[in-house]
Parts: sequence; C-alpha cells; structure tokens
Amino acid sequence: MQTEILRTILLVEDESTDATLLLRGFEKAQVMNPVVHLTSGDEALGYLAGVREYGDRRKYPLPALILLDLKLPGMTGIQLLQWMRVQGEIRRIPVVVLTSDSNPDTIDAAYDLGANSYLVKPGNTADIARMVQAIQRYWVKLNEPPQLVMRAGQE
Amino acid sequence: MPLTPVLLVEDDPTDFRLIQRAFNKLSNGFQMFRLTNGDEAVEYLAGDGPYENRGAYPMPAILLLDLKLPRRSGFEVLEWLRRQVSGLNRLPVIILTSSRHSTDINRAYDLGANSYLVKPDTGAQLEELAAQFRTYWLRMNEFPSLRPEIAR
Repeated sequence: MQTEILRTILLVEDESTDATLLLRGFEKAQVMNPVVHLTSGDEALGYLAGVREYGDRRKYPLPALILLDLKLPGMTGIQLLQWMRVQGEIRRIPVVVLTSDSNPDTIDAAYDLGANSYLVKPGNTADIARMVQAIQRYWVKLNEPPQLVMRAGQE
Repeated sequence: MPLTPVLLVEDDPTDFRLIQRAFNKLSNGFQMFRLTNGDEAVEYLAGDGPYENRGAYPMPAILLLDLKLPRRSGFEVLEWLRRQVSGLNRLPVIILTSSRHSTDINRAYDLGANSYLVKPDTGAQLEELAAQFRTYWLRMNEFPSLRPEIAR
C-alpha cells in the first residue's frame, strides 16, 4: 500500500518572494510532505504529463495537491487548468488556485475550468503562514485525494 | 455580516444529529439547511416549488453532500449540478460520506467534486473536521458567483 507515503504537493509559482514565503510557511506549519516547486505553467505541464525525466514517477510522483498561481510566464494557470481537464486521471488532482488576482470574473473562470478552490494571497507574512497551515490541515490531513495509478516507467 | 448559507444533504438521522452538533459548537457565521434526499437537493438548488422563496431558502455558498441518498444519489446530484450552464455549475461541493472506496472517491472527483471528506468515527474528530471546514471554506476560500437561472 502506498497510503503511508507522504503525498507530494506541487507548487506552481513564478514569483520568488511569494514562493519563499509559501515554502517557509510550509516549514513553519511542519508540513513533512515533499513540496515540488516549479516556476512556469509549461514546466508544470511537463511534470504532470511525465515528459522526459519527469517520466520517472518514483522521483517525480504525481502530486496529491496542486497550488497554482494564475499569472505565470508562458502558459498561464488558467491554460494549465484547461489542459488538465481533458487529461485522464490527471484531471482528478485537486487544484487550489493561489493568486493575487481577486477579480470576480477570474474567480468564476477558474471554477468553470474545475478549480477545486480559490485563495487570494494575503499581503503579509503572518497571514500567509496561517493560510499555509489551513491548506495543510484541510487538504493534506482531512481531504481524501483521488487514487492515482503511478505510471510512465516507474517499475 | 450576513450568515453564509451551507446546504447539507444527509439522510441518516444519527449522522445528521452528530454533524449538526459538531457544527453548532462553532461560533456563528453560517447557517445550515438540511435536506434528506437527492431529489430535494435538486429542487432546492433549482428553486422549484417552495424553494422559489430565496428569503426562506437561500442559495447556499457551499454544498455538503452525502453519496448514498434515497431517490437521487449524491453522484446524480453532482452530475446534474455540473451540467447547469448559468453559474450554478460552479457551486463548491464537498462530499461527506462514510465510503472510503477508491472507486467512489475517483468517481466523485471525475464528476467535479471540489473535495472529498470521510465521516470520522468519533465526535471529537467530527468537531475537528467542522472546525477545519469552517476555517478553510468559510474564512479563506473565495466563492464563485452563482446565478440561479437554470437551463433545462
């Protein structure tokens, strides 16, 4: 059984300041799960699709949760969501949008494309730490993730 | 501040009492409405019959949905909801069930469930679940806009 293996969290965030704060928040919340940090939508797509070295699912397991910024270089977060929706089991992976964009039209568009939740990045460090802790308690500890078949040359 | 309406669809009276007790221990901020079968859930969300009165039966911000329900199952309610085209399709749905079967979990995500929670065994765990649910969904999450007109 692989249920005891700590599930991977994928963070897609291009801004290094935000990424640092979020990663520090994970440390402070004592999140033991491995967090993979990627900085563009194209890289995230490559990871999820198992392109090249990412085909090694032992090293690069499919995440149980994706924290997705929307404004990304190249492919945007919205475009990545769109792509995910037409994939096989990848479409089941919960996606929490984590962005500074609080425009109601953007929020609606994200839900229309199947975002599981939408969070607006708080402005200060303490609130970011609180948000990360809530993400950990809810999505990592409480929520049942979909069962994904590891594949693409992992054996 | 207006109370956030939460719609709970749960047919089992014992489970309902336990869930209600756990949620009632939290300070206010939301108002829970309860239905006991899948057909009622669809009627409520569509605003049919008595549910046309949105003063008494407000559109929920979030739906807590059991899977095994009389008449229409939770899966069928979810399928119906995601087929709507007017904004109602965006309503966040949290599955709250006793089933831990991977086929149920995967099917729920495939049909567009936002999250999947398994009913805990003890009252203390259920209170913890209610507290995390409240912190995450009612305090942090940004909700979509729902326009209740239904395309049939």
